[in-house]
Amino acid sequence: MSTGRSWRRVVRIPFSRRVLQNEVDTELQFHLEGRIEELVALGMSRQDATAEARWRFGDLDTHRREVRAIDEEMLRMQRRTDLADTLGRELKHALRSLARARSFTAMALATLALGIGAATAIFTILDAVVLRPLPYPHGDRLVALSSPVPGIKAAPVWGLARHEMFYFKRTSHTLEDLGIYRTEVTTLTGDDGAHQAERVPVAFVSGSLFGVLGIVPERGRLLNADDNIRAQDTVDVALLSHGIWERRFGSDPAIVGKRIDLEGFPVTVAGVLPRAAQLPDQKIDLWLPLDVNPASPARSNHVFSAIGRMRPGTSVEDAQRELTALTAQFSSVFPNVYTSRMMKVIGFTTRVKSLRDDVVGPLVTKALWILFGAVTVVLLIAAANVANLFLVRLESRRLEAAVRSAIGASRGDLAWHYLAESLALAAGAALGALAIAWAGLRLLILFAPSDLPRLDEVHLGWTSGAFTLASALAAAIALGLLPSLRPRIDLTTLREGGRGATSSRRRLAARNVLVVSQMALALVLLAAAGLLVRSLQNLRGVHPGFDATNVTTMSLALPNGRYRTPRLASNFFEQLSSRVRALPGVVSVGFGGALPLESSELCTGAVIDVPGPSGERGDCVQMMQVTPGYFETLRIPLRGHAPDWAENGLGGASAVVSGAFAERFWPNQDAIGRGVRCCNGTPPFYRIAGVTGPVRTHGLDRSPGQVVYFPMIPYAKNPGIEGLPIFMRMVVRTSTIQLGAIVPAIRRVVAEIDPQVPVTDVAPMEQILAKSLARRSFTMMLLATAAALALMLSAVGIYGVISYVVAQRRGEIGIRMALGARTGQVRGLVVRQSLAMAAVGVAIGLAGALVTTRVLGALLFGVSPADPFVLAGATMLLVILAALASYFPAQRASRVDPVEALRG
Amino acid sequence: MHGLAVLRWIEEVTGQRLQVEEGALYPALHRMEQRGWLDAEWGYTERNRKAKFYRLTTAGRRQLTAELLKWSRYTEAVGLVLAREGAAAR
Repeated sequence: MSTGRSWRRVVRIPFSRRVLQNEVDTELQFHLEGRIEELVALGMSRQDATAEARWRFGDLDTHRREVRAIDEEMLRMQRRTDLADTLGRELKHALRSLARARSFTAMALATLALGIGAATAIFTILDAVVLRPLPYPHGDRLVALSSPVPGIKAAPVWGLARHEMFYFKRTSHTLEDLGIYRTEVTTLTGDDGAHQAERVPVAFVSGSLFGVLGIVPERGRLLNADDNIRAQDTVDVALLSHGIWERRFGSDPAIVGKRIDLEGFPVTVAGVLPRAAQLPDQKIDLWLPLDVNPASPARSNHVFSAIGRMRPGTSVEDAQRELTALTAQFSSVFPNVYTSRMMKVIGFTTRVKSLRDDVVGPLVTKALWILFGAVTVVLLIAAANVANLFLVRLESRRLEAAVRSAIGASRGDLAWHYLAESLALAAGAALGALAIAWAGLRLLILFAPSDLPRLDEVHLGWTSGAFTLASALAAAIALGLLPSLRPRIDLTTLREGGRGATSSRRRLAARNVLVVSQMALALVLLAAAGLLVRSLQNLRGVHPGFDATNVTTMSLALPNGRYRTPRLASNFFEQLSSRVRALPGVVSVGFGGALPLESSELCTGAVIDVPGPSGERGDCVQMMQVTPGYFETLRIPLRGHAPDWAENGLGGASAVVSGAFAERFWPNQDAIGRGVRCCNGTPPFYRIAGVTGPVRTHGLDRSPGQVVYFPMIPYAKNPGIEGLPIFMRMVVRTSTIQLGAIVPAIRRVVAEIDPQVPVTDVAPMEQILAKSLARRSFTMMLLATAAALALMLSAVGIYGVISYVVAQRRGEIGIRMALGARTGQVRGLVVRQSLAMAAVGVAIGLAGALVTTRVLGALLFGVSPADPFVLAGATMLLVILAALASYFPAQRASRVDPVEALRG
Repeated sequence: MHGLAVLRWIEEVTGQRLQVEEGALYPALHRMEQRGWLDAEWGYTERNRKAKFYRLTTAGRRQLTAELLKWSRYTEAVGLVLAREGAAAR
């Protein structure tokens, strides 16, 4: 393909299209004229000869066009191979000169690889969790629907009610389809053979949900609207997840149509779903039909999660606008459920959110963006260091550059040379960065809190590679063009023997700017990390309201079919309680519907026995059932008393409320002796027998919860008040923490009482306490790592510049020492210069920190974004580092031998 | 040899029996240059006119040999066919 010894390359005339066209014209003209002369010589008239020559030639235009096209193609090819030749030559050259400057190359490679690698790792997480659509067909068209009720409580939102689904499906033009579901954990009954009773996560779904999520069955069929209608009487069909089909049913190919036992009820397997078919936010093993019937009357039961699929080309805002308008008509469409006054009071609306944002959540999104910002800053600092290295190297190569340009290298040739060098370096750095990102990601995933959404979708893929490549390329171009920014090479350099003083000062200024910006950026990161550390400290200092030491927790689930009344359930727990307490080392034991720190956001309206604005229906508090021993085991302080087993067994009417509840409804009064009842209950009221201290029910960063603790067996005159206590958390306090010994013993006891009750979620209470801070500590750890990297790189940067300054000022220092300056004074001179740079950097950094730490917002706890202690601490750290980094060069300066320095 | 010289050579050798459209020669020459079979150079004729001269390269010579071989095989085959045909017609 190559033209080999083409004449063009030999002659090296600059070629353009115009020149080519002229050449073609000349060549063809020569032909025609030659012919004409020949014919004239044969005796033809000039006119005839011209006509004859033209005729013989054929269509001049066509041939000319064709020849031109060929020549242009040739030119293009030529240019391409020329470019490749230049690049190849320069690259070879660059590699050789990089190999010679070993320490420069190693340092620049490591710094750049570290910076790009860290950025790539965090970008990969950001991309997988926040940026990418959910892994469903057209996942970007999925939305989550819910109802905020600001009039009742700010934080939690209501789900959708059944009638809303049918109404929106019928009337909405922006939504293609809509499905609702709720999740639960139930028990697969054990059989005599291989399988134990097992707790499995289940989803009760409307048939439409599968269409919305684009799920098709692997075997059998999906659930449909008929299943939903039949489910009002009994749930008799189920879909299996791929996972449980493999694990528990041995991938039985004939599973469809078989029966499985769910809490004592027989259920027919209708189908098996493919491995990827899952809900967006949790793993489900059994899919059951939700009881929904379009013919049922509407009722206020806003508890279901809802996912809609928008029509193509519709935006979330469009859907939001339409559903807001549709919801506004509820009081006329469903007058039995909504009154316009009530809608106004509680602020009832329907909110449409992109499903991805709903799953990931604003805090995670924010934390990841902040971390990405942090690693970008680290990358910038790293790049600044490498730029510094380049400038030093450039300085030492001024002579070489001058020689090259003296023997005829143009500015362009030199630019190519530097660019090739930085490209080669960046390519190496990109490879290193990928390795670092790969290792870093594995480490991150290992330490990441398990409840970080979409964690399983995080892996180093094409987008990560593209990111690495883009960063490396940007760095290469920036670094490669650095030398071209400076003024034209001064050939007097040659005369001076390479000791030019004028241009080096300008370059020193550039390096000072680099170091100062590094310091400023590092300070911002340091301040942010410091604020998160303080937040975590503050949270650790919050008293949770209970004592977690030596407490072990686990979950118990009673199969519905066997425990049909609260009394049966209560008997089970009472028996278990007395037998566990008899185990050696056990101090106390109790059961409750939820553990502190782990309460769900669900709340129910409570009614209290005093009239007044707060006594109306709709006051939202948390309710749960507890057995005797719950408060004692968790050492939750209690004023008054909690019902004991005897009172519980009688169906006594005593309840316990939390301090926050008492304070809300009876401020400055004694709540004990007052009455409270639940949502749908009828009078009489439960008498409040005890008030607990403040317990952080929803997390250490939230205020103590307002809770009513009901006994397990409802008050005899008030049956069925909260349904069956089928799922309880168990807390066991032991004399020392002896998880290893106590858990098997408890399992044995449970199996002896009822082998169909599985024991799961075994965890020390202290672990639950730690887990509630896991996301924060993870974010803090990453940000602190970024800050430490930034600090380290800045120290290297300042060290480099000060060392260079010392080398430059050797002569001057020699003179000073010859004139009697003491070593301490010389040292001070150098350190002062470093501190001056640090001071400027800190000043800029502080201003930057004040502006940027505000974005941390909800990630902070108990500390202001402008916390003076944190800012002062960060400043101190940076100043000390600047002093330390300049100490060694200063030491060197003080050892300058005046005689030698002045001679050299 | 420049383009016109090539044509004159053809006329001379074939005794004007092979008439070609002269313009078509140039795309062919440039194409061969592109493929590296010909080298081209600007120079001056004896009458001091500026012209583009072409010369066969090593690669071009190799190509020519190959094409000649192909051509001779082809004509040989055609000759055989025609000989048989001729015999049959007689």
